[in-house]
Amino acid sequence: MLQSQSVQLLCLTASSGVPLFSRGSTKQLPFSIIGSLNGVHMFGTGHDAALSCCETEQGGHVLWRVFHDSLMLIGVSSNANVSELHLRRLLENVWNCMVLVLGLDELANARNVERLKRELRSCYGLIDMLLERGVDDRDQGLMGDLTHCADCILLPQPDLIQDTLESFTRAAESSPNVALRLLCFQLLPGVIACVLCGPRPSLYQVENEQVCRFWSPLAENLRSCLDHAERSSLSPSVSLRRDVLALLLINRESRRSVTSLSTKATPHLSPARRWELLRLFYTFAVTRYFTSEESPSSECPTAELLHEEFSSGFTHLPVHCYLVTDECKCYAVQTPQHQLFLLTDLSVPTFTLRSVATHTLDAVTTATGF
Amino acid sequence: MFTVCSSGKTVRPVCTDLDEFDSIRSVLLYSELEPEWLDDVQKNGELFYLELSEGEEEAVLSHITATQSAATNHVRFSDKEAEIITDKRSKKRTDSGAKSQPKFKKLAKILAGKRRPSHRSKADGKNGRVSQPPTSILKNQAGPRTGLVVQQPYLKDVCVYVNPKRLGCMSPSPSEKGGLLEALLGVILRGGDGLGCNGEKLIIHGLVPHSPASKCAQILIGDVLVAVDDVDVTSENIERVLSCISGPTQVHLTLETGTAGSVMDSEVARPRPAAPVSQLVRLLWGEDTTELQMSVAHIPHIVMYLSLKLDSESPQEEQEVLYQYPVSEAAAQLKAVRGIFLTLCDMLENVTGGQIISSSLVLRKQLVHVGYWKEGENLLVVGLPADRVPLLHLQTVISGLVRTLRVMYGSLHSAFSEVENAPRLDHFFCLFFQRIIQPSRLSDSPGSAPSIISGTLFLDDLPAMRWLTLPPDVKVEVDTVLSDFESSDFGDMSEDFYGMRRLYVILGSCLFYKGYLIANHLPKEDLLDVCLYCQHYCLLCLGAEQRVGQLVVWREVFLQSRSHPDSHTSTSTSHPGYCESHGRFFLLVVGLVRKHFMQCVLLEAGGCASLAHGSPGPDCIYVDQVKATLLQLESLECAIEERLSAPPTPCLSCADWFLPSSGRGRQDVIGSSPILNRLTAAIKPPSPGTIGRSLFGEAGAGSGLKGRKPSPQRSVSDSGSELGDVGLRMPSAGTRRDSLGSGGSDGSGSSGGLFKIPKLKQPNPFYLGSLKKSLTEREAEELQNTLKLTAGLENTLFHYVLMETVQGIFITPTHREISQLSGSIHPQLIRNFHHCCLSIRHAFQQSLPPRQDRRGTDRPHTSRGLGPVKEHGILFQCKPENWTDQKKPAPTMTYWVIGRMVLEPIPQEFYVCFHDSVPEVPVEMAFRLSFGLAV
Repeated sequence: MLQSQSVQLLCLTASSGVPLFSRGSTKQLPFSIIGSLNGVHMFGTGHDAALSCCETEQGGHVLWRVFHDSLMLIGVSSNANVSELHLRRLLENVWNCMVLVLGLDELANARNVERLKRELRSCYGLIDMLLERGVDDRDQGLMGDLTHCADCILLPQPDLIQDTLESFTRAAESSPNVALRLLCFQLLPGVIACVLCGPRPSLYQVENEQVCRFWSPLAENLRSCLDHAERSSLSPSVSLRRDVLALLLINRESRRSVTSLSTKATPHLSPARRWELLRLFYTFAVTRYFTSEESPSSECPTAELLHEEFSSGFTHLPVHCYLVTDECKCYAVQTPQHQLFLLTDLSVPTFTLRSVATHTLDAVTTATGF
Repeated sequence: MFTVCSSGKTVRPVCTDLDEFDSIRSVLLYSELEPEWLDDVQKNGELFYLELSEGEEEAVLSHITATQSAATNHVRFSDKEAEIITDKRSKKRTDSGAKSQPKFKKLAKILAGKRRPSHRSKADGKNGRVSQPPTSILKNQAGPRTGLVVQQPYLKDVCVYVNPKRLGCMSPSPSEKGGLLEALLGVILRGGDGLGCNGEKLIIHGLVPHSPASKCAQILIGDVLVAVDDVDVTSENIERVLSCISGPTQVHLTLETGTAGSVMDSEVARPRPAAPVSQLVRLLWGEDTTELQMSVAHIPHIVMYLSLKLDSESPQEEQEVLYQYPVSEAAAQLKAVRGIFLTLCDMLENVTGGQIISSSLVLRKQLVHVGYWKEGENLLVVGLPADRVPLLHLQTVISGLVRTLRVMYGSLHSAFSEVENAPRLDHFFCLFFQRIIQPSRLSDSPGSAPSIISGTLFLDDLPAMRWLTLPPDVKVEVDTVLSDFESSDFGDMSEDFYGMRRLYVILGSCLFYKGYLIANHLPKEDLLDVCLYCQHYCLLCLGAEQRVGQLVVWREVFLQSRSHPDSHTSTSTSHPGYCESHGRFFLLVVGLVRKHFMQCVLLEAGGCASLAHGSPGPDCIYVDQVKATLLQLESLECAIEERLSAPPTPCLSCADWFLPSSGRGRQDVIGSSPILNRLTAAIKPPSPGTIGRSLFGEAGAGSGLKGRKPSPQRSVSDSGSELGDVGLRMPSAGTRRDSLGSGGSDGSGSSGGLFKIPKLKQPNPFYLGSLKKSLTEREAEELQNTLKLTAGLENTLFHYVLMETVQGIFITPTHREISQLSGSIHPQLIRNFHHCCLSIRHAFQQSLPPRQDRRGTDRPHTSRGLGPVKEHGILFQCKPENWTDQKKPAPTMTYWVIGRMVLEPIPQEFYVCFHDSVPEVPVEMAFRLSFGLAV
């Protein structure tokens, strides 16, 4: 039995059901259960029925996904805060990270299972980090795993850093089409420059010549950015209402997101709980009313059939929604360009939530051009 | 009239003592000694007797024939011969029966037998027929398919209504001249006088004026009559076939015609616009389920009752499947993967620490949700297509289903373990799936609004009944009549009268008018039990739109709050030292001719009444007493009708009025001079009355303008959502909200807000409400009809549902009120509203205080997830369809759907849909509305 609050991930070969790895919960599931979980899905496949997910009392979920007809990922959660969407995203993320590390060919046409097993070990770090997201998390402000958008910080003067990054990228001959390597350089604790590039230039070359050349002049600048980011990921030019407890803003076109937590200390809601509520509210709104930013499917063509879109049952377009709970009030806005998710204090009158939300959206977008 | 019992034929001898019990009332009412339903009582005492009133049948028929194009593709079976033979046999049997029976019943039986071979055979041991397995689609596939395709060109089907009873009053005896063909149908054959016995074709030479044949306007001179009710006819056998019709019914005539214009398409999948008798009634009669089943056969759905405990010693194929329905191909696929369901149910509790409640799988490119319900060693599995039942609603559907079965059979085990229940369960689940998968098919009877059945997943599964508020005087009268009945004080039922214990104690009853609950003298849980049954068998829809000639239902029920002392509901309420009596309970439902009234009565045997032995059938006296009560209520019909046709209170607006239907709309008017428009809005006296009236008059542009005054905060902020409405969003002072300050917010802030409000210094909406109330008292006449729920000048309310959880009732605009609004967008809006309410209510449900879950174990409640949700709103944007004006962006209309859960002072759930021109505080609206819900 899984320990409460835990999420476990199982990976098996799709055709033969050989277990490749199992990550997550401290106590691993017995082999017989892993076998049964895989067995029911295989049995269904044999009868032209693709098992997608199931739900148990107290909010547990089990989710099955087969990627490229080669690997089967099973997510098992006994945590009520881990929604079906979260689990689905988790499996997609895990698959994508395996593709990043091993390459699609290696995964889709694996011949030697033992070798694949060994190679997959190199993904464990990333996978473990993904499993922790939203469950017990240190970097709680990051929601990209759930939103499938890049978490951003809106800096006061982004131009200088942007220009430097572009020159650095050119110098490293980054060519995303035939990427072979992902190079990461820690510039400062918490600041990392990543570049995708081909076989040249060598790591030594980039590390010793280009990193210094491009980034050392910006050290002070980066340091101040880091200070800023610790306070808020919004630029200081944006002034949020004091009763806004937390927000998540998504640019739907560029697939980027910004999160922010108000500095105001609220006695009832710890920052951790506020992040948790924000994730839950995002999930709530996106699974029921709004559209989530789906990445192009890396699974079988019928992948979109595997879950229900409740919002497709609406005859008219949902544009806003709100919740009043015991802890806070939540408001979400969807426009063609943006999605905004807002937590406010209970003291904010419900009928003014809408104006608070639209004002906030206006304020952030006009001040930063996000 | 035809009647169908769902299986039994054995006439139950009613206790002879009771014959003498006939009360004066019933003697007055019913001079016939034997009630017409008596013959339909089944072996186990159950009765489901339904007949349409005669006029109604004709009306149905004339409607059909007028709009004809339908009524053609009924399934024809190839085993006609066999059917005729059994018809005759059963006819003989009934003829030989010494008792004089009302004539139509014979036909009813014939028809029943003929149309439902599997059902009839079941209990009909006398006829020596082996009982058949439940109707299966697969089994019949060869038959109906070929039968269907054979629909040859130049053949047409016509339904005519015939009534052999009227033959008696005709001057020439039917046996003379043209025989029954002329007398009954009004068809004159070539040659005028006679039918040879040589098997000639029946060529129609003429039609008798005003006869059924001429009235239907489908039978032409020169046509050849080929078959009657799918029995091939020639001059040789026509009289014999027609003579089998002994009661009023409709007859399918198949004619060969020279005109190709009337050739019908006979695709199975083609939805039929109308059927001779509404599909629902046919389904309830138990006939014609094959066609309905086939029309959903491609949609995966299944119900299975599986055994978790396998007998490993004698492994048999499919031994774990205790029951299954239907037997379609898609269902077979689902059945084939039952191993998944069994394994998951067995295993997952050990994995995630909770029983499985649902799983989803893709079958035939359709997502299917499967719901689980474990009871003891068995597992009920229900698979439903995701596009019909959203996952978040699945559990509500399943628990409703389980409760209905428990009410009817006591437990799932007793429902599924009895072999003789199988045909009844088939019928039960046929209804269940039809209601969920194609509810519109069931409501295709003329005159019924499709909204009555369809789109009501939300309303159907609310733990409450649709309530109709009545004027106080009428309400008092209704209650008095019901109380009189419930007191069982009539002379012949008093114990003193005969010195013996009465058979049943009346626990209480509830009364429906056209499907609305108008009086309830039952505790909430009992009411819900009764209503689950009524809802499942669509009895409320029958009462609503079909003029039920007569409906008598009798069956034993197992009340959930009483029959299971160990179940969750009663453990919480039971008091030490107090033990509820363990009697048996019976449900009696009587609906009466043309009155739209239907009364459900709960009777208890045992306890202080005499004990029930075996399976007692309905007792004439109780049925008659209910009938008498209904007849007594007849005098109130006018008053209730008056209430139904009264203008809606609170006032409703139609969504279409807020949106121009074409390019030329209010935008043009407004765009030209926004200031002028604002002036007119300001000048307009703030009388809600004029608005209420104007809605019906100058609908659309004129009235759409006035409420456009947005609150300042919105006008500034709404950038994204109201692109098309820019011209209308002028900041203007003086809206209600501005003057009120933030006082109104508190209502949403906490559940106790209602009581806190008076302490506030600021004026608040609550006072506004009471102000209005005092106004109403002064100017009652003027304002009575224009009670407005929303604030602001204009009425912006589109739709609402208010549920009172304690009494188990809810109010929502009546069907008539909705149909008065008409419009093209409004029905969409209502559908959207209901869909949205599913989600809102789900959010409320998840956050309910800890409660013992359905399996009796305490669910550990931690503050997980979003926490308790008490208010939830969604803003929708809609654009007119077919926007043709290329130059201008389509105008948009935005509206809120808001749900609010109130726990104090009375637990209520309130769902409302209104235009967003004025920000509303739902709790205020709910409060204002609950004034109207004086129960």
